[in-house]
Amino acid sequence: MTKKFLRQGEPFVWATGLALSLILFLTLILFYVVMANGLAVFWPKKVALATLQDGRFMLGEIVQEEIIPHTDNKRLQFKIGNRDLYGLDFKWVDASEITSLTYPKDVHVLERLEYGNFYGYLSALEVKGIAPPASGSNSLALTIDALEDRKVEVHLLGKKIANLNRRVEKIDHHLATARYNKEENTPALAALQGEKQGLKTEFEALVSILGEKSAALATNQAIFTDANGRTKAIALPNIVRSYQPNNMSFFAKCGYYLERLRELLFDEPRESNTEGGLFPAIFGTVMLIFLMSILSFPLGVLAGIYLREYAREGWLVKMVRIAVNNLAGIPSIVYGIFGLGFFVYGIGGTIDQLFYPERLPAPTFGTGGILWTSLTLGLLTVPVVIVATEEALGSIPPGIREGSQALAATKLQTLTRILLPMASPGILTGFILAMARAAGEVAPLMLTGVVKLAPALPLDGVFPYLHLDRKFMHLGFHIYDIGFQSPNVEAAKPMVYVTTMLLILIVLAMTSTAIHLRNKMRQRHSVVDV
Amino acid sequence: MQKLDKQFIKKVRRQDRFATRAITVGGMLVIASVIAILVLIVRVTLPLFQSADAEVSHRFAVQSGTAPVLAVGMDDTQEVGFTLDTTGFFSFYDLASGKPFFSAPASTRKAKVQSVESNKNNVFALLWEDNSVTVSQVDFRLLYDESGQRTVQPEISQLGEYPARRYPSQVKSMMVRAHEDRLTQVALLADNRFQIDHEVVTANILGDEKKEAFSFLLKEELPGTITAFTLDEQGKALFAGTDTGSLLRWDLGENASAERTDNVVAVSGNKGVTALAMVFGDISVAVGDAQGGLATWSRIWEGEGDDRVRRLRKIHVLTSHQSPVERIIPSRRSKSLVSLGADGKTHFDHMTSEKHLLNLEPALTMAGISGQGNGLIGLDSRNNLTVWSVHAPHPETSLKTLFGKVWYESYDKPEYVWQSSSASDDFEPKLSLVPLLFGTIKGTLYAMIFAVPLAIFGAVYTSQFSTAGFKKTVKPVVEIMASIPSVVIGFLIALWLAPIVEKAILAVILGVLLLPLVFITIMVVLKPFYKTPTLQNFCSGYEFVLVLPAILLAAALAMGISPTVEQLMFAGDFKQWLYNDLGLRYDQRNCIIIAFGLGIAVIPIIFSITEDAISNIPPSLTAASLALGASRWQTIWRVVLPSASPGIFAAIMIGFGRAVGETMIVLMATGNTPILDWSIFNGMRTLSANIAVEIPEAPMGGTLYRVLFLCASMLFALTFVVNTGAELIRERLRKKYGRY
Repeated sequence: MTKKFLRQGEPFVWATGLALSLILFLTLILFYVVMANGLAVFWPKKVALATLQDGRFMLGEIVQEEIIPHTDNKRLQFKIGNRDLYGLDFKWVDASEITSLTYPKDVHVLERLEYGNFYGYLSALEVKGIAPPASGSNSLALTIDALEDRKVEVHLLGKKIANLNRRVEKIDHHLATARYNKEENTPALAALQGEKQGLKTEFEALVSILGEKSAALATNQAIFTDANGRTKAIALPNIVRSYQPNNMSFFAKCGYYLERLRELLFDEPRESNTEGGLFPAIFGTVMLIFLMSILSFPLGVLAGIYLREYAREGWLVKMVRIAVNNLAGIPSIVYGIFGLGFFVYGIGGTIDQLFYPERLPAPTFGTGGILWTSLTLGLLTVPVVIVATEEALGSIPPGIREGSQALAATKLQTLTRILLPMASPGILTGFILAMARAAGEVAPLMLTGVVKLAPALPLDGVFPYLHLDRKFMHLGFHIYDIGFQSPNVEAAKPMVYVTTMLLILIVLAMTSTAIHLRNKMRQRHSVVDV
Repeated sequence: MQKLDKQFIKKVRRQDRFATRAITVGGMLVIASVIAILVLIVRVTLPLFQSADAEVSHRFAVQSGTAPVLAVGMDDTQEVGFTLDTTGFFSFYDLASGKPFFSAPASTRKAKVQSVESNKNNVFALLWEDNSVTVSQVDFRLLYDESGQRTVQPEISQLGEYPARRYPSQVKSMMVRAHEDRLTQVALLADNRFQIDHEVVTANILGDEKKEAFSFLLKEELPGTITAFTLDEQGKALFAGTDTGSLLRWDLGENASAERTDNVVAVSGNKGVTALAMVFGDISVAVGDAQGGLATWSRIWEGEGDDRVRRLRKIHVLTSHQSPVERIIPSRRSKSLVSLGADGKTHFDHMTSEKHLLNLEPALTMAGISGQGNGLIGLDSRNNLTVWSVHAPHPETSLKTLFGKVWYESYDKPEYVWQSSSASDDFEPKLSLVPLLFGTIKGTLYAMIFAVPLAIFGAVYTSQFSTAGFKKTVKPVVEIMASIPSVVIGFLIALWLAPIVEKAILAVILGVLLLPLVFITIMVVLKPFYKTPTLQNFCSGYEFVLVLPAILLAAALAMGISPTVEQLMFAGDFKQWLYNDLGLRYDQRNCIIIAFGLGIAVIPIIFSITEDAISNIPPSLTAASLALGASRWQTIWRVVLPSASPGIFAAIMIGFGRAVGETMIVLMATGNTPILDWSIFNGMRTLSANIAVEIPEAPMGGTLYRVLFLCASMLFALTFVVNTGAELIRERLRKKYGRY
């Protein structure tokens, strides 16, 4: 009986079910961790006031609690912020030390330009130049709003100065070229020198105005007290955002959440990438995929068409097909080091010697940049596109080709009018999958041009608009960088989760589109097959 | 029927011909360029294995009639060479023309130089006949005139003047070392004794400096006549070789003391030591002997525990000369050595790799190395000065240093070590690829142990036992899993999973053990009910949902009993127990984490390919098996799996290839320590992560840069072989079942 049971092997069927169950379970957990942590980051957490046994107070968000090993006692981790006052952001406290936990309504949380969050009570506002708002729970927010115009003014001034800087740089470049070409004392040179001098004076004037304005702005400050009564004056321009989480309604919290989401998608990062937005990284990722596609899509499709439709079947084509299939499985880091050796140092170095000798030894193209990275990623995805094209073309029944040619269509006509339209969903699917893979690749980027903080986007309003030599930021590298190389990993974790979530969502969207397309294509083909 | 337009047909034909050509050329170009990657990567690594070469760049006769030459040297640009003769004069020659253009004395005193010693580039200690010593440095200044023309201007400066001391007998030779506040002078006397003179500046607590001088003789019985000796840079270690082949070493203390630490027989056959020199870095000493042998010796820790002592041991044997070694000149930039034989043949060797770089023919009596180590200057017996420009880009690498055990300085025994750089200049790069290969294999293996059974069983279930509707959903889910970026997996396992596993390592291990137990128990309990067809029908296709409680139960059980088990069996601390009783250290980022992370990355790949392979088995086979009365498992086990086995094997190989090259996951979650240890509780460094870690510090064209390219080409070769094998197998499988 038992023997028969075993011989029939039902338990083994269940065991295979267990394996599948485990795979799905683990995947689900991973997704859950990313989503749960990522989605919760921007939701305003309540700020707790803990009264400790020694009579002191502690103000902060409760981040996690755990059981102390080998005991039954619990301990709580608080995010206490106020790095400029305490030196650290997080603190563990034994639950036994806490006599009471309350959530006072008037606690302010400040997001600041530096030193992280501040938790405390507002005690006074010192404002100059504008009418002090009526006291109330939101007086601080109103005052900050009132200063907005002046902040914008300062910001515009800063932009003007940056613009001037760029012009000076350009003139410097012209001067360097002239020096390299051994031109001296030409009138053009003198004119350039004169223009530079003029710009410099203008620059200095603007800088002093900016200094005055921002100093005047910084005199507007708010006096806060922390949990234990220590006072701290904080200049209002340094406050990015203030809110009172214990006094917020559900809708206010939703509003706050949306505001943070907007900041995430459209603003620049702050505090060595651990706060603020991800705009440059999102932009860099999208731009990289775009540039890579321009390269790899046509080439891959071309090679695929050649292999399937034009090359004469033989051992050579067979070898090439196997080789191409394999190239799709070559580790990405190998492509990365190839990109470094061949594109960056090889081609980039040569370009520098030929076209930018006056700037050497400072490299222009002979260092990592978005062009080289996209070329490298293009190489990495070309085999995938070739394989996808070949398979899509190969799955078209030969009768269709023969029918077309029997009607006296040439090979090109057959290809463009019949085969490519039929194969296009398949090619597109393969291509989107390749793009999804490229979007998640980080290792080759690290070798060929990604940076933790790029001063300028590769695409902007300054001639020649598209700066292929610039370094760029990338979501995947952002995860690696702030998660593993930032000095304060604990404080950076929320941002890493958000970035991870964003990257996963982008990749998932692309993959789902591809799968959807393929399913549609299958339906179409099943009709053809009959 | 409408008649076809001839013009139109012509146009279409023309277009077609053009397109054929364009597509052919374009397609072939794309494929050729993709294939060219391998060639280019391998080409970068080739110089690592190139042998060195040297060509004579200048040769001319030095003016005859001058005094015998004691030393030669040249500047870094290889434009000016010089000789130092027994009158104490430096004579500078323009190497291109061979004309002398400048001459100056080392010291204004008109005495005769007895011997010269050099321990730094272009720094010479001259022992005059009156036993006083002058230390002179030759500097070369680069001057640029109006038109940008470069001239090299030699300058001689005195670093020190040391008056003669009182010696009991005649001085044969002398060495001087001035290091920080300490001056050491060692003189070899004609009666085969050493006299040592120390001058030490000491400061007491109040900061008052006091100069103390000590002078003493080494009175010990020596095993033979001293034929060569040398001092390290700080003047703290004295090495001497005798005509009986003994190598002696003394520690020179702070005051009037010298302790003999070693007395070993360095040369067999009662042949003498003929030349000694410190290798760059002052750790090893090079010993040349009367038989022409050349070896380097270093002090090695021997013995165990409290009995550990340091002994001089021979760590490298370099290519022998045909005649006694007369002189050893170490490079001041690397661990390379130039050695002159009595027959005038000159060898250029590298210590670490034991590579014989060059063999220069003309009979030299004197030689020098340029500061950069890329030029040699030599004087032959007919007073000809010859300059070679040396091209030895990577002397420290050979197949042996990359893949074999190498006895590095300060190591107890030959070992496989990867340690590419350090803060100091005289560092010996340790570039063994063995720990990296080992790490790669280790990580991949653990990952495969985790991933292969799960993926294959899961695929078998999906393709054979699940309902058709479920199959349609699970395949896209697995594909989506495959598209999760590896950086995300790396981050999650390193920053989320690793701390959790570290806290609950015992629960994890118990969980892995308990899961099969719980599963078997459930099966046994279920067995009596299983005969009822309703239950069978109800379960069929949903087994994977119904076993989910087993996973949860096992997890809950493991967490529940782990504190008790830890108390009872492991004295309350499992990690401590691991370390104390098994000697295993627990790292937070270990192979359990890696196996999980890499597993998550490769499971979808293995799963998809296996699923395809099984689904491609013609249904007629399974139908026949079932019709003959086999159960569904029997059909799978005896019919489907054997038929699909090549495909499954290919799936495993492709998964292996992916795991081998995965970079971000291992970079983030292994700790990146290049160790040789199979323990599952610690990390490793893989080839791929090594490239990512080291490439920012590798200057283009340097040895490290090329070695990293070698890592990449090995990865390339490894994955290419594995993938090609898998591809061929799949091809065969397709053919085999294509006819059904």
